[in-house]
Amino acid sequence: MKPLICLLLALPVWAQEATPPAGNPAPAAQSPAAETGSPVPPTGSWLTGYVDLGYVWVSPVGGSYDAYRSIIDIHSGPKLLGADFTLTDPKHRWFDTIQVRASTWGAEPSESLHVEAKKSGIYDFNGDFRDFAYFNLLPSFADPLLSQGIALDEQSFNNRRRVAALSLDILPGNWWTPYLAWDHDSNSGNGTTVFVTDSNEFPVPNTANDSTELYRGGIRFRKPHFQVTLEEGGTVFKSNQTLYQTPGSVNSGDSSTPIFGQTLYLSDLLAAYGIRGSSAYSKGWLSANPASWLDIYGQFSYSQPNAKVNYQQYDGGNLYLQSQILFYSSEQEIVNAAAQQPHTQGSAGAEIRPFKRVRIIENWMTDRMHDAGSSNALDTLLVAGSPLALSALIDSTLVTDYNQESLDIFFDATSKLTLRGGYRYVWGDALYAFLPPAGLASADHEQLRQNVGVGSVTFRPSQKISLTGEVEGASSSGVYFRTSLYNYEKVRAQVHYQPLQTLSVSGDFLLLDNQNPLAGTNYEYSSHQESLSLYWSPHNSGMFDIQGSYTRSDLVSNIGYLEPEDLAPAVSRYLDEGHTATALIDLAWPHGKRFAPKLSAGGSLFISSGSRPTSYYQPVVKLRVPLGKHVSWFADWQYYGYGEAFYLYEGFRTNLVSTGVRLTQ
Amino acid sequence: MRWHVVVLGLFLAAAPRWVAAQGLPQGYAGADTCKICHEDIYNTFTKTPHDVLQTSAKRGWQGRACEACHGPGQMHAEGPAADNIRNPAKLKPSAADQLCLTCHLNEPTQAGHLESSHARNQIACTACHKVHSSDQPLVVRQADAIVNQCRTCHLNVWAQFQRPFHHKLPEGAMSCVDCHNPHGSTRPAMQQTFAANDPGCFKCHGDKRGPFAFEHAPMRFQGCTACHEPHGSANPRMLTRAEVRFVCLECHANLPSSPVKVAGVVPPSFHDLRSPVFQNCTVCHQKIHGSYVDRNLLK
Repeated sequence: MKPLICLLLALPVWAQEATPPAGNPAPAAQSPAAETGSPVPPTGSWLTGYVDLGYVWVSPVGGSYDAYRSIIDIHSGPKLLGADFTLTDPKHRWFDTIQVRASTWGAEPSESLHVEAKKSGIYDFNGDFRDFAYFNLLPSFADPLLSQGIALDEQSFNNRRRVAALSLDILPGNWWTPYLAWDHDSNSGNGTTVFVTDSNEFPVPNTANDSTELYRGGIRFRKPHFQVTLEEGGTVFKSNQTLYQTPGSVNSGDSSTPIFGQTLYLSDLLAAYGIRGSSAYSKGWLSANPASWLDIYGQFSYSQPNAKVNYQQYDGGNLYLQSQILFYSSEQEIVNAAAQQPHTQGSAGAEIRPFKRVRIIENWMTDRMHDAGSSNALDTLLVAGSPLALSALIDSTLVTDYNQESLDIFFDATSKLTLRGGYRYVWGDALYAFLPPAGLASADHEQLRQNVGVGSVTFRPSQKISLTGEVEGASSSGVYFRTSLYNYEKVRAQVHYQPLQTLSVSGDFLLLDNQNPLAGTNYEYSSHQESLSLYWSPHNSGMFDIQGSYTRSDLVSNIGYLEPEDLAPAVSRYLDEGHTATALIDLAWPHGKRFAPKLSAGGSLFISSGSRPTSYYQPVVKLRVPLGKHVSWFADWQYYGYGEAFYLYEGFRTNLVSTGVRLTQ
Repeated sequence: MRWHVVVLGLFLAAAPRWVAAQGLPQGYAGADTCKICHEDIYNTFTKTPHDVLQTSAKRGWQGRACEACHGPGQMHAEGPAADNIRNPAKLKPSAADQLCLTCHLNEPTQAGHLESSHARNQIACTACHKVHSSDQPLVVRQADAIVNQCRTCHLNVWAQFQRPFHHKLPEGAMSCVDCHNPHGSTRPAMQQTFAANDPGCFKCHGDKRGPFAFEHAPMRFQGCTACHEPHGSANPRMLTRAEVRFVCLECHANLPSSPVKVAGVVPPSFHDLRSPVFQNCTVCHQKIHGSYVDRNLLK
């Protein structure tokens, strides 16, 4: 019977009447009426996807709650844990598809929502919103009173940062496509910062908020042999910050050590920053393949951000001006400042294929930036009842000119072996100056000169195995900073091996060795990382699979400096030896069972020794149980354990349990 | 089993007539012919953006989308064998890239192609973009899926994200492409850009963008990685050193400007670092990313 059915199915094929070959089916020769299809996948439902709803319970945090909030910051409560669904309009009226993705909404440290709406050939819309809780209070970071047993962080904050982006492409797929976009970034919150006077610092509360709006629009021209995109855009930035102390209150930074018989204290403070900025930019990039053996690329951009600042400060107490050995009871300061920063960047290059086995990539880029700032300050002190006015006018200049020229030659020795040799020359100049010269620093002028050689080999003897090795070595005659890469070697090797369809192993090795032997620097830096990962799915059926990775990393850095207090030679030595492992084992009930549960267990651990010995554990267990065709129940357990050998009081541990349902359509 | 052979023979014998019936160029078989044997792949393909090749007359491949990448397939249809059809998965990476770039070269995403370390290290487009995989879309969009894809090669980077202080990638709040452009960029480490030519870091950290009346030079010359480990660190604020003062002192080493000839070594500061108040420089130099009003970055 089956052959007969197949024969009947094949009959229409035979029934087709042969037509002469079309010759050259140029796109334009085809009827526009034929373009009735759509990239939208045919689907039986207008809605597909899932939503995860649940409740998260966080056990009482053992140890430092502030450290917990600085690293994890998840709170108990009902949540939308995730969603990913697609709406499809089979009639393609206003849209073809709308895709929505969301993650972790409801008292979470990060929340996100992403929406994509498309209508083929008409528009392509993307919207993205993210909300981050940004909390940080770690006394080991900035607490001058730690030795007195007072645990605070004078640079702590509790902020919310919101990032949004909208973009709209009109007539996507057309040979010219205009687009519009808006990006938003804002931050608001409060925290602790310091009010610094000439000879003391006082921790004070502060509020801060800032926002950046980026508006941009452009047009893409696209033809078979070239593409040009032109974009115009601009930003608007505003930032306000206030530092304050209620009049008459006591500040924890009040000095208990007398200076010339007097103690220093801050009795009241109000300092406010008002910052407004804007910028406009132009950008263009092109790519073309004028010949089958040649591709060319180029980019150019110019931007000119600027900022204007109004700063006002009033403080009272008993304060000290060290430069003039004066005590004063109040201070009023007004600063007006401005800065602008023209920035030009360009690059051009080509990929040339003169022979079948040879490719040459030539690339040049330049980046020039000039920051010019000025501030005008008027500071009025009340000294023994008499006003003392101090004014300062300072200009600053920062100029950087970075250039890079590179040439890479790729040679396909065989179909499985590719060799690469390359050379890069990096050069630049940097200038940083204050005008008029003030204090002991007036100007820094440095040069960057670096010759870099690169060699690599890629070997793929079969589809099951690939090996890549890359070596980069550099010699410099000038760098900007003592810790910059100077004479260095980088080595990277990667191997991927898949002996079975169900088993794959990957390895990764990375080495960076940097030396700056110049007198006064003597910088030695060495780091290496070795990683191994494995994925094994014995039955390739999803019933059981295991994936895991292990990384060992070592970092040693030695660089000398002079102790500020007595200019005695000293060495900054940083060591970090880390072990990181991740694993996840999935166990699933055999397919076909109605309520087949799936269990996952694993997590990650990090242990390090050296300059800041740390341990961080995150084991996790997840259970999924289908309850019906469209509903499944899940329960997760996760443990967080953080420990720090030098700052024991910052350790914490907690359990997090979440449960909920996944609704699937 | 014999009926299978009979039916296959019938189809193969019918294929040339079918091809001719579709008005296809010489040597082409048409996607419907491919579907006869590769139905599962065909069905998956129709759910990808590349399906537009099959349906749109504009692209020049209407009705023969498979052959846009696999080349003319009539010979393969007449005598199925692995060696008479092009299989991009078996091509060397540069050849596979060239195949993709035949259509995709002139797209804005490829603007940084020459600077792309992926391209230079023979990572083909198909390493990330599965053209007709049943379990992975052509372009991965979900943050966790992007991260999973990148970490299969960048094992050491993924390990850094397991450190306590990190950007929120393991939590799914971000993905690698928020900071890096995998197709290439004019910035180091294939960083994304913001507002034409600024580092992509400023997309979220707009308050650090400036311009400042008094800049901290490393911010401009070397970027955030001069002081921070953006993938993750055991040190608070993702700093490169365990104690803040050493981050600073390694550059501000109180040395004479000659013969060192690098920035920031002078002037000598006479702070007594034996006193705890001076051990964390950012306690006072709080505007370390740049100040609008104070040249010493104190406020």
